Amino acid sequence: MGRERFRTGVEAASSRYVELADWGALIAHLAADPELGSDRHGAGDRRPRVALAPSLAHAQPDLVAGFTDAGFEVAVPDGDDPAAEVADVPLAVVRAELAVAETGSVLVSEHALGDRVVTMLCRRLVQVVDADTIVDRLEGAADWLREHGGQPGFASLMTGPSRTADIERSLTIGVQGPDEVDVVVLTTPSGGADEA
Amino acid sequence: MRTFEERYRTALDDPDVRAGLTAFQRGWRESRDAAIAELEAAEGRSFDELRQELAAIKDDVIANGDRYLDQFTANAEAAGAEVTRVATPGEANEQITRICHDAGATLMVKGKSMVSEEIGLNHHLEAAGITPVETDLGEWILQLAGETPSHLVMPAIHKRKERIAELFERVLDREFPPDDIDRMVKAARTELRERFLASGVGLSGTNALVAEGGSVMLVCNEGNNRMSVALPPVHIVTAGIEKMVPTYADAMKQVRLLARSATAQPITVYTNFVTGPRPGQRQHILLLDNGRTAMAEDPDVAAALRCIRCGACANVCPPYGVVGGHAFGHVYTGAIGLVNTAYHHGIEAAAGPQSLCVSCGACATVCPTDIPLPMQILEVRSKVVDAGAPTPAGRATQLAIAAFGQRWLFDLGIRAAGVVTTPLRSDGVTRVPRWLAERPGVREHVGWRTPPALPVRPARDHLKKGKLDEPSRLAAQPLAGRTVQLFLQCLSDRVAPDIPIAAAKLLRAAGADVRLPRAQHCCGLPAFDAGEQDAARTMVRQTIATLEGVDDVVTPASSCLAMLEHEAPHLLRDDLDDLERAQQLAGRTYDLISYLTTGPGRLPAGALDNGDRTPVTVHRFCQSSTTLQRRDSVERFLRDVAGVEVVPLPEAEVCCGFGGSTSIRSPELSAGVLDRKLGCVDGTDVAILITDNPGCVLHLRGGIHASGRQVEVLHLAEYLARRLPGADATPGGASA
Repeated sequence: MGRERFRTGVEAASSRYVELADWGALIAHLAADPELGSDRHGAGDRRPRVALAPSLAHAQPDLVAGFTDAGFEVAVPDGDDPAAEVADVPLAVVRAELAVAETGSVLVSEHALGDRVVTMLCRRLVQVVDADTIVDRLEGAADWLREHGGQPGFASLMTGPSRTADIERSLTIGVQGPDEVDVVVLTTPSGGADEA
Repeated sequence: MRTFEERYRTALDDPDVRAGLTAFQRGWRESRDAAIAELEAAEGRSFDELRQELAAIKDDVIANGDRYLDQFTANAEAAGAEVTRVATPGEANEQITRICHDAGATLMVKGKSMVSEEIGLNHHLEAAGITPVETDLGEWILQLAGETPSHLVMPAIHKRKERIAELFERVLDREFPPDDIDRMVKAARTELRERFLASGVGLSGTNALVAEGGSVMLVCNEGNNRMSVALPPVHIVTAGIEKMVPTYADAMKQVRLLARSATAQPITVYTNFVTGPRPGQRQHILLLDNGRTAMAEDPDVAAALRCIRCGACANVCPPYGVVGGHAFGHVYTGAIGLVNTAYHHGIEAAAGPQSLCVSCGACATVCPTDIPLPMQILEVRSKVVDAGAPTPAGRATQLAIAAFGQRWLFDLGIRAAGVVTTPLRSDGVTRVPRWLAERPGVREHVGWRTPPALPVRPARDHLKKGKLDEPSRLAAQPLAGRTVQLFLQCLSDRVAPDIPIAAAKLLRAAGADVRLPRAQHCCGLPAFDAGEQDAARTMVRQTIATLEGVDDVVTPASSCLAMLEHEAPHLLRDDLDDLERAQQLAGRTYDLISYLTTGPGRLPAGALDNGDRTPVTVHRFCQSSTTLQRRDSVERFLRDVAGVEVVPLPEAEVCCGFGGSTSIRSPELSAGVLDRKLGCVDGTDVAILITDNPGCVLHLRGGIHASGRQVEVLHLAEYLARRLPGADATPGGASA
């Protein structure tokens, strides 16, 4: 029930909602996306660059290999100038701590600069969340925040692609943040957080 | 900053302002109402319950500010932030400049920060050789245009897309078709991206400070705030000390109401909780007082510190829709600006815009923290008067109110005016001769609204014992054996006598013995409205003494009922005896519609159905909805009891623009609000407009006459009296 409500909120916020079994299925799903495929980029079987949040890539090193094997060029911005490494990267993947059914939001924790630039500078952002972390209400996210309160951190409830209505209240999608957001719910995540 | 008068004139002269803001307000109202209705359904609780819960959280913080500030400070410092409390804008500017200099920064990217506007930060930085760049799209547009925000949430809402396209063409030197908003947005992205990456300091505002975790909550839709926080090596947070909430769960309650009230979204795209700096970054949190402690200590305005800066109060404010935020407020716009400006920028800064409030009460109905804005505005207005910041118009008002307080003087004056204007009187209006009407000083008052006819004899003369005809009798006699004291309302008595006369006929037709307390004068509303609280108290006490007794008191003026029910107890709150008398009077006082629908005079269905089926439409006196909590009772009464077809009036509950002294002190504004109302009337294609308050009747009648429209405006009493058995259905009685 929470998942249905979550889906409604996600779609109301102009994101795509997808349910997949696990990370492997996610990589296959993105590899099969014609928007990201060879037709569009016209370079044989090459797929675009994908940025992985450093915290995610470090927790699940197999993801780098998985995306690479699927033809993606993987960027993990953990160098001295992470922003330069992923400026305008077409695709990025982050893992959310939890999801909120009430608003269709995901809670992403991104403390290091490398993690932050991934969600800020990409054009299309894939937010991945485990099905069993969906909470009904915003208070569920408050619980997570309280558990982490007082420790340095940057946690964001994200709900859809960036948008503005500052000109004549006319809605425009895609301002400083991503233009497109996919919310991917993993129903039987294997490995994933357990490996972290 | 330019004077209020300059800002007011500039806004009136810009046709974009009114057209754009009216459309904005209508669009917002519809989508916000839908978003709130959805929330109420999902939560199974009313908006009132939800906002009172949030208000209680904020009140706790206002009462225990230091405790939460200390808790927040300890937690934020544990997470690596440097927290500094600053008392004044000067101190805040100095601190921020110093931080920039210490970091060797010459470029600052700014997320939206109202506090930075409040302290005039940009000017200060520029003088110190630091370039601030606004990164919120609306704020950036205004920075390019050399303007300031006109709205808390939609800073550039006063600008039409054509003007923004021109601006972009000039600044960026390429083509921008006005309809291609997407192109403008993308240009902002490109232009600002390099600034984000190059700047040495990022500055953000604050939506809430979470005491239990030391987190700064920041909401945004564009993503600019996140980038201002994350990318530069130094992050400065500016926050008013009232931004505190005790817990994350409390913050979520704010989230639930904030975006819905601001932009009708369930939640903004980003709701960020920033706790300390990221690795390799420094974070400075500046907590600004600038009058906030003084507000917390002043019971008249303390609740204004609940404000979460959603802008809803501006979005329903009819005068805001005419002149926009630059005139209506200072840095903080809308109704909240009329209150907090006095504390953040001084009483002089708050003085001018006071004349723009029409006291319609709409702001309080949508405020997500339930701030009693209308009463607070009246309190600040009274402080403005007490501080003696008099404008010429203000002095004239003071004199007028002093004269008005003397019943005999007022009576004499209005009778004399009635005699003098006898040759000019026709169809219920005074036809001002052209040579006079075109003179400056007269023109702006009569050009758009023909003055009412001034009768020689007030209603009280017509209603003397022995002057009354044998009443026509209704079949239903709910008031048989009941005595009703009729409170005429000073305005109707002398300027619209047909209204109380009709009300008396109606009450007698329903069986009442109608009495007229001779000493009655004025309930004190105009004086209270003008900030003259002492004069208001004198009048309200006099009214209470006059109407003392056990009988029902009925008035055809709903505004007097609102005064006696709400403002009078507030004015007399320090005197328990007076307060009790005021409450007793309020308990037995009705306006006509409440008396006939929910009071002892309840009439059965069809009681006033005389077969006349001419359709009508209804303007609801604004305070009927906002203060007296009525919705469609006039419409339902007309349908059920009079059997008439009522064509719904769009924006029926929005103020007509009379606003007591507003229509005299700011006639252009009043004319603008009236114009919006009459545009809605035109849409109904109906020839009879009914309303429940005499002030609205005179205002609408004058505006309709001046514009040449063929719509008859009637007070409910006048309309119903025409439907009594044997009544003469032609207009004009005492005033003809």
